[in-house]
Amino acid sequence: MTAGVAAPPVLSPDGTERAARRRRRVPYLLLAPGLVFLLVLYVVPLIALFRTGLQSGNLVSGYEFTWEWGNFLQVFTTYRPQLLRSLLYSVSATVVTLLLGYPLAYAIAFRTGRWKNLFLVLLLVPFLIPFLLRTLAWRTILADQGLVVEAMKAIGLLPEQGGRLLATGWAVLAGLVYSFLPFMVLPIYVALEKIDRSLLEAAGDLYSKPSTAFWKVTWPLSLPGVISGTLLTAIPAAGDYISVQLLGNPQETMMGNVIENKFLSVIDYPAAAAISITLMLAIVIAVIFYVRSVGTEELVA
Amino acid sequence: MAEAPAVELDHVTKTFTDFTAVEDLTLAIDDGHFFALLGPSGCGKTTTLRMVGGFEEPTSGTIRLHGENVTGLKPYRRLVNTVFQSYALFPHLTVFENVAFGLRRRDVSEVEVRKRVGEVLDLVQLTGREHRKPRQLSGGQQQRVAVARALVNHPRVLLLDEPLGALDLKLRKEMQIELKRIQQEVGITFVHVTHDQEEAMTMADTIAVMHQGRIERMGAPTEIYEDPRSAFVAGFLGASNLMGGTVDGDRGTIALSAGGVVYADPKHIPAGVREVLVGVRPEKVSLFLPGDETAPRNRIRGKVTDASFIGVSTHYLVHCPQVGEMTVVVQNLDDRRFSLGEEVVAAWNPDHTFGVAG
Repeated sequence: MTAGVAAPPVLSPDGTERAARRRRRVPYLLLAPGLVFLLVLYVVPLIALFRTGLQSGNLVSGYEFTWEWGNFLQVFTTYRPQLLRSLLYSVSATVVTLLLGYPLAYAIAFRTGRWKNLFLVLLLVPFLIPFLLRTLAWRTILADQGLVVEAMKAIGLLPEQGGRLLATGWAVLAGLVYSFLPFMVLPIYVALEKIDRSLLEAAGDLYSKPSTAFWKVTWPLSLPGVISGTLLTAIPAAGDYISVQLLGNPQETMMGNVIENKFLSVIDYPAAAAISITLMLAIVIAVIFYVRSVGTEELVA
Repeated sequence: MAEAPAVELDHVTKTFTDFTAVEDLTLAIDDGHFFALLGPSGCGKTTTLRMVGGFEEPTSGTIRLHGENVTGLKPYRRLVNTVFQSYALFPHLTVFENVAFGLRRRDVSEVEVRKRVGEVLDLVQLTGREHRKPRQLSGGQQQRVAVARALVNHPRVLLLDEPLGALDLKLRKEMQIELKRIQQEVGITFVHVTHDQEEAMTMADTIAVMHQGRIERMGAPTEIYEDPRSAFVAGFLGASNLMGGTVDGDRGTIALSAGGVVYADPKHIPAGVREVLVGVRPEKVSLFLPGDETAPRNRIRGKVTDASFIGVSTHYLVHCPQVGEMTVVVQNLDDRRFSLGEEVVAAWNPDHTFGVAG
């Protein structure tokens, strides 16, 4: 026998091997535009921001890179009230949005029948109006002589004298909940919609009352949607500053306002950069803990 | 008083907005039977099963389980369990928790849950897969989990809604035998819905053939196969050669419309009708050379127009001037095969003739 047994399989010379190699490259080529985009517009600016955060100096004499870690520490000292307030607003807005959004998503997914699409459109209609305008509209709704305040005074929910909603935390909460409700409802709706209805029949067949069937089957299967929805609400809410600015009390600001102020009014870039990075890291760590504790790996795998 | 049947439907009708799925159905299934509801899609068999399970309420009529009126009771209040068409296994739970689901809802102690789940997984031969998720199992294994999840509750009646529909042919055959074994082992009533006549005949003690919301024929598989009593059943349950004819006075002789006669056992010919369709199953017919006096009494001349050899048998298509095409299935016992265009006589024993109202 002349041909070596261990010789690699001879591929036809007309480029079968080259074709295979090209096929292997395809996924990377498809990824490339996105990766380049992220690298240029996300990773590079992030590094630049981080470097800025380590500078010291002032507006007049200019800023220098001096490994100034103090910029980062001041988040936990000088701006601790704002940091805590941001977290409080973010968590409470998320909880309220979930409490309002879950039943809404459930009703749309299971109870609206052929009106389903209409309800979904209605849910999205507010998005056709710019965020700023929507928040401004809430100023009118919650205004001191407005219908809501007057009604709440009439039923004793607000004191007759000096009772108001605007420029309080409640107005900020209302604004945040309103803005992020669709971000909560849509992922939950999608998760609920995917649940095979025969699973609920099976639960009924296996001695579950409707409420038990919900907690044992529907709720766990909708958890991926709940997690997406809460993240889509909590993360932007933690960084929000428009709601506080337009609806809240100027003395009770959030981290977003501090950052905006440092960047645009005080022009203290290092401090602004350091606070941004710290807030981002705080959110990332919180999200990791949250997702781990709910245990989505099991569900989405 | 005799023991009440496991399942009893009394004049049950189910009407949906635009059609009647089940019409005035009365049916009793004895305890411990393997009962098959057989019919084409849309015949009302699944609706019937869902009414027994409590997933649909009958528009009128009464449903009793072991003598107890359960009409209007929610599924979770009925001592029946269902194996769903798509299995409906809970994707977020392990095999063990899927099977334990019903027991946990009834506050069975943990020790008892472990014991019963272990037993039933042993019964369906899935021991060792307790911690898998349903998606990690093959179709056949998922099917067994679905059966185990229902059986673990010791229902008095198990409802199976086309449980083998999603499996491939080989697996389906295996599961048919498997389900039959399980039914004999646990001894409870199985009500099985299927559109596959072979599946029904393999497994069931009693078959009800449904058509347009009614039961056309009910009985043991052999009984309804040999004597289908309606053209629909004759056609749905296996193949038949049907010929139009007129009954002679004693029902033992039928004059074919196209000339010639067919002999039959009078008890297989409906009484009180003159115009009938007489039929014979393809495997009951044999082919002979013209003039062969050993042929049975019913003889029809024809010409072979097609012959397909399929291993155990050869399927012939014989064109007979009197009755049109006849299908004849001949076992390959000897070397004599008939070739295309050959003149033959298709013949069968009068005992094998059956008649249905024409």
